[in-house]
Amino acid sequence: MSGYILRRIFGALLVMMAVATLVFFMLRLVPGDPIAAMLADAGSDEARDALTKKFGFDQPVIVQYFKWLLNLLQGDLGTSLYGSNQSVTNILYEALPRTLSLAGLSFFIAIAIALPAGIISAIKKNSAADNTVSVFAFLGLSMPDFWLAILLIIVFAANLQWLPAIGYVPLSSGFWEWLRHLILPSIAIGTGFSAIIARMVRSSLLGELKSDYMRTAAAKGLSPSSMVVVHALPNAMLPVVTVLGIAIALLISGAVVVENVFSIKGLGRVLIQGILNRDYPVVQGAVLLISAFFVFANLMVDLLYAVIDPRVRYE
Amino acid sequence: MDNEKFIKKAKNELKEAYDYDSEDPLFGLAKEDISGDRLSRRTTLRLLAAGGALTLANVLPGLRPSVAFAGGHGGGELKCAWSGVGEIVTLDPAKINQVLQFQIASNVLSGLMHIDNSLVAQGDLAESWTVSSDGLNYTIKLKEGVTFHNGDMFNADDVLFTFNRSKDPEQSIHSRVISNVKELQKLNDYEVKFTLSKPQASFLTKALERASGRAMTIVSQGALDSMGAAQYGLTPVGTGPYKIVEHKQGGSVVLERFAEYYDPGRPKLDKITITPVDGAEPLAAALEAGDVQYVGGNPIPSQLIDRFKSNSNLKVDIKPGPGFQSIWLNPWRDYMRVDSFDKPLDELKKEKGFQVRLAIAKALDRDLFIKQAKFGNGYPAHGSINPAMGFYFDEDLANVSEQAYDPEGARELLAQAGYPGGKGFPEIKLQTTPNTKRDGLVVANILKQVLGINVIVDPKDFSVGIEEFDTMDYDLRLGGSGGDYDPDDGLVDWMQTNSKFNGRKRDKSKYPFGFYSEAESDAAADAQSLVADPQERRELVRKANRITSDKVTCGFLYHPVDVLVHHKSVQVPEEARIPGLHELDRISLA
Repeated sequence: MSGYILRRIFGALLVMMAVATLVFFMLRLVPGDPIAAMLADAGSDEARDALTKKFGFDQPVIVQYFKWLLNLLQGDLGTSLYGSNQSVTNILYEALPRTLSLAGLSFFIAIAIALPAGIISAIKKNSAADNTVSVFAFLGLSMPDFWLAILLIIVFAANLQWLPAIGYVPLSSGFWEWLRHLILPSIAIGTGFSAIIARMVRSSLLGELKSDYMRTAAAKGLSPSSMVVVHALPNAMLPVVTVLGIAIALLISGAVVVENVFSIKGLGRVLIQGILNRDYPVVQGAVLLISAFFVFANLMVDLLYAVIDPRVRYE
Repeated sequence: MDNEKFIKKAKNELKEAYDYDSEDPLFGLAKEDISGDRLSRRTTLRLLAAGGALTLANVLPGLRPSVAFAGGHGGGELKCAWSGVGEIVTLDPAKINQVLQFQIASNVLSGLMHIDNSLVAQGDLAESWTVSSDGLNYTIKLKEGVTFHNGDMFNADDVLFTFNRSKDPEQSIHSRVISNVKELQKLNDYEVKFTLSKPQASFLTKALERASGRAMTIVSQGALDSMGAAQYGLTPVGTGPYKIVEHKQGGSVVLERFAEYYDPGRPKLDKITITPVDGAEPLAAALEAGDVQYVGGNPIPSQLIDRFKSNSNLKVDIKPGPGFQSIWLNPWRDYMRVDSFDKPLDELKKEKGFQVRLAIAKALDRDLFIKQAKFGNGYPAHGSINPAMGFYFDEDLANVSEQAYDPEGARELLAQAGYPGGKGFPEIKLQTTPNTKRDGLVVANILKQVLGINVIVDPKDFSVGIEEFDTMDYDLRLGGSGGDYDPDDGLVDWMQTNSKFNGRKRDKSKYPFGFYSEAESDAAADAQSLVADPQERRELVRKANRITSDKVTCGFLYHPVDVLVHHKSVQVPEEARIPGLHELDRISLA
């Protein structure tokens, strides 16, 4: 098992490296001048030349790449080209808790809605409850998250004034303050994911409920709730966990629009702003971090298989 | 004072303000009146009268929020939204490249000078100043007893340190602003002398101003040494009315009253929290829900202004903004090619390329554009000098400019150029940013309706768009300037052959100049920069402005408005209403 994990971690690092390398070269193919973005209407030709030299853009791209790689191997992601040249590590360090908070709460909301909805939908197949869940699932899937976000803001922030419309407060400032700033964005993101997961739970659970071992369980006189919760649900979770793994990674990288609507500077916004400003080091750092989430989320999913299904063994 | 006395006083002031010989270049003022540490009320009113900007509101205290009104009780916390931005990337004056950044920094750091709400330079850390008769030497006496937020005392060494940092292009992006300074000498601990290479009328308002200039916004050497440039960019230390107590990358900026500020009457508020808010609806919701009480930053989305006006809890104050937006026309495209603008206008009007340029400029229905694209908020532009400049703004230009809206004339010119009704005219692209795409669509529609030509709107990220603009790789481009407080900002920065945006990265072997080059307007723009006398300068500014308008440097479109929105509980005195800036130290809560 440990050998397998080490091999997978090594593979994951290679994937991340490949992604980062690809991004490094692709960024330089994208039109747009980072120095122009930095100077806006302020710069003189001298400032332009000095900054081009300072950031090494006067050197061949391959030289820039190896310098960046060397620094990366020493744990140095570089500094932002924009503003006061903050260290990329610091920028990501500031953004990460916001994104993790948002992704975590969205994930919790998605699961809290999806599991009961999926289970009810499966055990009451073709009933009014099933149809209701299906309609809401399709609604959840069809609504763009930014649109739902704006609706939530209008209703709960502007009209009812129950929750704040913008901003993020760190957990260190108090649990309630942290939570109330995250509720609306988390609902906006979590709703769509809950729809996907609920449909997945329903179809997977339906398959399990038709299995022979469920008939045996019924013949042995087990209660319906025990049959579903103790026997069918754990087996039905295997495909669901696969989706959940991808969902976590998507939640971390994909909340860009909602982060924007609620003025939360998470990883998504760091990445988008970096791209708009052609801030190469920031984009490279953010992509590296997001790719790490993707590959490690997948690794965790694979490892969870062994926990959920005893038949799965890694040698 | 009762109402009758008020009115009598106002009448006398009005009479006195206009009581000067119109031939007198100094409007009956002595040179001493317009130098020193501040302008007197009499001088200010006289200058406003001379510039045609004096209104009853200037003399009747009851008609505008006044100093008395500003005296709302001190203390309290103000929560602000900074509109149209995801984060405040930097507050280090050497790195600031957006208006919304210096709007904050200007409340934290001081300059030697600071403009007032009439855009006239007043002493900030400068106690007083004298200018040599040749206009080359500025001797500035500094305020004594001023401290930085970290406790360091301010003196002439800080001015020298700031100057040396700002002139180093590796450390500062504003080295150009002080490129005319030949030497800065420390005369003693509280006196410095700037020696210029050539006279510069805008020196006080452009180079030494703490907000728009940014080159001589005084930074703390001690703080820079101890915290490093990156952290200084987040939490700069200055001598301003507020100190920054919290600012993490991507988070809110929290300001606290600086008790040791040199003016004991300011600031009035104890604490200010500034949260960047991107997007119209979240901004509206935050303001309407009371999460924030005041909006700064980028211009408020036009579609929200009427909504805010109808909200009885909010106050919306609209003034002319300091800038202009234009349609830039690439003279190196065959169908609007002009190889030389150095010809009499009548001759130029016979050239097909110029006819197309003038036709496009004349076709711009600016009133319709402002109505459709800006929801009625803006002023038609016919030149680069904006109405916020008051004294220098040329109100007649709208009537006399060759660019004045004339659809018949525009169609006729296009027909003369060989494209009657737009027939045979190539499909051209109008470059915008993603944020100005809507504006571009309105312009494209106007040109289609008036001239029958097809314009494709082509939104580009700023970093891509500016590259194409610099290399002259565009057909039409929608863009312009903000934060223009001095005629130099409109003329020297944009309208001259060597202006910083005039095709600076073009292939000079193919394109001898960028979007425009004309000797007479160059000379007038140069001359106005050197003249200290306001009346003489105004004539030169108007001359340059008219030539660049008539010869279609670009199709001038509109001057933005400066819209301030805040809750009624926030008291904003008139002296805090500097277009494009936010004087948070003068604001109080009811």
